[in-house]
Amino acid sequence: MPPPATPNLNRRLLLQTLSAGTSFWAAPALWAQTTAAPGKIAAQAHPTGLDGNIDSNGRLVVVFLRGAYDGLSALVPHADPHYYRLRPNIAIAAPDGSAQSTLALDAQFGLHPALAGLAPLWQQGLLGVIPAAGSPDPTRSHFDAQYHWELGMPSLSGAGTGWLNRLAAPFSRTVALGVGEANPLMLSGPAPVQLVPRGLAATRQGVLGDERTRQAVMNLYSGDDALSKAFRAGADSRIQTAQTLSAGASQNAMMRSEMVAANNGAGSPQGLLLDAQHLGTLMRQNRHLRLGFLSAGGWDTHANQGAANGNLAQNLGNLSTALLQLRRDFSEANDVVLVCSEFGRTTAENGTRGTDHGHGNALWLMGNAVQGGRWHGQWHGLAPDRLHEGRDLPVHHDFRAVIAQVLLRSQGLDRHALALLFPGFAWDASLNGLMRA
Amino acid sequence: MDTTPPELALLQRRNTLKRLASGASLLGLSGRQAWAQASDSTSSTATLDAWRAMSRVGYGPSPGLISTLQSAPNARTWALAQVDAAFAASQTRPLVAPDLVTFNASLPQLFEGVQRERELRTQNKTERLVDLNAEASRHLDFSAPLDPAYFNRTVQQQTAVWRLGSCSQPDAENPLLARMTEFWFNHLNVFVGKGQVRPFTGHYLVSVARAHALGKFEDLLLASARHPAMLYYLDQVQSVAEGSPGPQGRTRGLNENYARELLELHTLGVNGGYQQTDVRALARVLTGWTVGPDESNGFRFNQRLHDNGRKAVMGQTYPSHLLGGGEREGAEVIRWLARHPATAQRISLRLARFFVADQPPPELVARLTQSYLASQGDVRVLMKELLASAEFWHPEQRLFKTPMDFACSALTATQTQTPSTGAGPVDRRHLTLALGFLAGAGQPLHGWQTPDGYPFDAATWLAPEALTRRADFALSLTRQTPELEFLSPFLGTATRAALSRERPALRAGLALASPDFMYK
Repeated sequence: MPPPATPNLNRRLLLQTLSAGTSFWAAPALWAQTTAAPGKIAAQAHPTGLDGNIDSNGRLVVVFLRGAYDGLSALVPHADPHYYRLRPNIAIAAPDGSAQSTLALDAQFGLHPALAGLAPLWQQGLLGVIPAAGSPDPTRSHFDAQYHWELGMPSLSGAGTGWLNRLAAPFSRTVALGVGEANPLMLSGPAPVQLVPRGLAATRQGVLGDERTRQAVMNLYSGDDALSKAFRAGADSRIQTAQTLSAGASQNAMMRSEMVAANNGAGSPQGLLLDAQHLGTLMRQNRHLRLGFLSAGGWDTHANQGAANGNLAQNLGNLSTALLQLRRDFSEANDVVLVCSEFGRTTAENGTRGTDHGHGNALWLMGNAVQGGRWHGQWHGLAPDRLHEGRDLPVHHDFRAVIAQVLLRSQGLDRHALALLFPGFAWDASLNGLMRA
Repeated sequence: MDTTPPELALLQRRNTLKRLASGASLLGLSGRQAWAQASDSTSSTATLDAWRAMSRVGYGPSPGLISTLQSAPNARTWALAQVDAAFAASQTRPLVAPDLVTFNASLPQLFEGVQRERELRTQNKTERLVDLNAEASRHLDFSAPLDPAYFNRTVQQQTAVWRLGSCSQPDAENPLLARMTEFWFNHLNVFVGKGQVRPFTGHYLVSVARAHALGKFEDLLLASARHPAMLYYLDQVQSVAEGSPGPQGRTRGLNENYARELLELHTLGVNGGYQQTDVRALARVLTGWTVGPDESNGFRFNQRLHDNGRKAVMGQTYPSHLLGGGEREGAEVIRWLARHPATAQRISLRLARFFVADQPPPELVARLTQSYLASQGDVRVLMKELLASAEFWHPEQRLFKTPMDFACSALTATQTQTPSTGAGPVDRRHLTLALGFLAGAGQPLHGWQTPDGYPFDAATWLAPEALTRRADFALSLTRQTPELEFLSPFLGTATRAALSRERPALRAGLALASPDFMYK
C-alpha cells in the first residue's frame, strides 16, 4: 500500500521506466555473446531478432516457495550447538544414520530426511546451495518481500514488470512459461508469456476443442482491441498446450492422489509435481520456451511445523519429488533450476513450535552448470552476535547477485545487461565459484 | 433454525419474477430480433449506469433485478438506496435453504460436530470409514442425513452452496450486502483449506463479514479477531505469554502471526509506521485470546496465559490507566488501530479499487479517507460517499471482472432462466461447475491461502488462456438455458450482430462469453 506521500519519487520513476518494458529493454545486444563469462558459452547474437534460432543457452526454471520456507529445516546446520539450543522441539536431529535424523552433506550441513531423494544430486555435484541469501531489504512482510523478489528490486513494491518478463522482452516469440498461478508478478509485463493453469485443467481444450463452437466464440473476439487480441492469443496457446500435454500425459505416471491434490487450486505443494511435469513437457516440446516459473504455497509454518515428520516434512518431501522430476526434463548442459522463497524464518522456534518471519534463507541451485555438491558464500553460524537483529539469519548474499551469476553463465547475459536487469545491484565476487567454468 | 417462512416467501417472489421474465423478453422482443436490433443502446447513459449499478453494487443483471431497477427513478438512485437496504438486511438472518442449515449452526454446535468427527476417525483408524454420501456430496446434495464422520466436508460444501446462492440471487440476498460480504471476507481473509479453519469459514462469513458489512469497521475487526476461524487461521489460538506452562512440563510462548497481519493487512498497511518491536508488543497484548468451544461467540480470554507486563504498541501503552488490563488491552488496541489514519487511508483505497478502478482517482480516495475519519469508520457513510461520487459512475473507470465476478454474474443471469429441475431454487449442477471454474481460474471459493486476500485488478486476472476458460464455463453453464435476451441492451453492436448469426442454442453461452460481459 503506497503511503499518501512517497519520498521515493525516483524509485517510482524507475519503476515506470521499467514498466515501459520493451523500449527500455529491447536492445538485442543485451543477449549478445557475452564477453565477461568464462568458458564455452555458446550464446549467439541475433541482430535481427532472437527467435528462429535455438541457441545453446540453457533454460532457467524458477521454483518460488510462497510463504517463506524454513531453510534451517531443509539445510540443517547440524554441527552448530546454537541450532539445537534455539530449536528445542523442532530441530532436525543430528545425523545418526537413521531416517529420523539429518542426512549429513559435510561437517557443517545436512539435508532434512524428507529431502533424501536429492542427496544423489548433491553427490553428483548437480545441486548446490547458498545458505544465507536473500533480499537486502529487511521487510518481514511476505507480500512486500515477494514484490521485491519478483520485480528484482528490493524495496520496490507495487505493480511493475517482473524480472523474468524483462528477460523475455528481447524476443519476439514467447519464451517464458508459467504453470500454476493466474498471473505471477515475476512473469508479468509487456513481453508475452504463456500461462498455464494448475493441475489437469491445463490438459483440456474445453470449448475450443469443438470446431463449430470455437468458431462461434472466436467471432466474438475478432476485433483489433487488446481484449480480442489477448483472447485469440490465449486460444492458440491453449490448444497447443492441451495437445502437447495430452500427448505427453502417457509418459507421466501420475498418481491419482496427486491429480486430486493438484486440482484443489490452492497451490498445494502436492500439486507441484503435476505442474512440474507440465512445465517440463511444454518446454521440451517447444524449444523456444527458455524461462519457466512454478510456485507452491503452504510454507508459512508459524505453528506446529514438526521436525523429521509433520507438516513441513511433508511439504519438503513433495518439493523433493518435484525437483527430481524437473531434473529429468532440465538436464542439458546449461539448464538451471533455482529454488527460492521471499525470506527465511526465525532461527529460534516460537512459543507454538513453529517459526515466525525472519530474514536470510537457503537458496538452492540445480543443474550441470552449477558447482554443486557444496555450499557457497558466507556462513557464520547461529551464535547470537551473528544474527540479524539478534534473531534472524543474516543476508550475506543479495539474491540478485546469485541470479546474476546464473544468468551470466547459463544465459549468456553480460555484466552490462545484468546491470540493466537488476538496477543497483552489486556484483558479488565471493560467489564467483558458484557456477562451473 | 427455522428458515421455512422466508424460503417460501422467496419462492413465491421468484415465481412472480419468472412470469415476468418468461416468454417475450422484457423488451418485448425475442430471439434474433432482440440480438440484432439496430439502435446501439449501450451508448446511452441510462444503460451504462444500469449495467454498472447491477454489476458493481451486485453481481450483474437478472430479469428480476432489471425490473426492480426499472421501477426506481434511475440507476444512481437505486444504487444509493442499496446502502441502507443492505444494512437493514445485514441485521437480519440470511436466507438459508433447509438442507444447508448446519453450516450456520451455533458455534458450540460446530465445535461439537468437529469433535464428533475427530472421535469417529480416531476410533476407526484401522477400518475404512464408509462414505455413504460420497456420490451425493459430489452433486452438492445434502438431502440425506448428515454423516457425522464427514461433518467438516459437509459444512464446507454447504457454505459454498449458500455463498454462491447469495451472490447470484438478488431477490434472496441484497446484492450490495453480498458484495460487501465478499469485500470484508477477503479483506480479513481466512483459508478454508486449513484444517481447523474449515468448519468455521461459513459461520465467519455470515456472523463476521455479513453481519458487520455496513457497520463500523472497528466492530467488524473485533468480531473477526474473536472468531474461531481467524483465531485458528493466523495461529492466535496458541499464542500465549512467554514461558507459560505447556504439555509435558515444557513451556509455550508467543506466535507473531496474527499480530503482524493485523497491522500489515487488516489495518495500517505495511508502510503504516510500525516496527518489529510493535509486532512483538501487539502479540503480547493479545496473548490469552483463544477459542471457547462452549461459548456462544466461540471466544475465550484466558487470563492465566496473558502477558500482564507493560507493552507499548506504536506509543500506546498497555495496560492503560483508563481501561485496565487483561482482555480489554486487546479490544482497546484493535479499536485504536481501526481508527488510525493509515487504516482509514488503506480501507478507502481498497474500497475504491474494489468498486471503482484498479487505479482509483486519488481525490476520491482522499474524500473517502476524510469520511472514514469523520465517521470513525462507518462503512455506510463511506459507501454512500462512494456511490454518490462522479468517479464511481464515470465510464472511463473500467473494471475487469475477477473470476468470482464472472462466475456469480453468469449464475445470476442464468438461474431464473433455467427450466426447473426440481432441485430447488439453485441448480446445484451449476454450482458444481462454478466451483470448478473458480478453482481452475486460481480464485477457489474461500480458498485463498494467504492472509492478503485475492487482488481484484485486471493485471492479475486478465490473462490470455484464462479468458478462454471463461468461455468454457459460460457455454457449459448454459447447455439448457434459453436465450438471455434481457442482456441484449447491455451488449455492444458487434456482439449482438455476432449472436444474431448463431444458433439460438448457443446464444446464451455466447452472450456470457462475450467481451462485453467481461467488464463490470
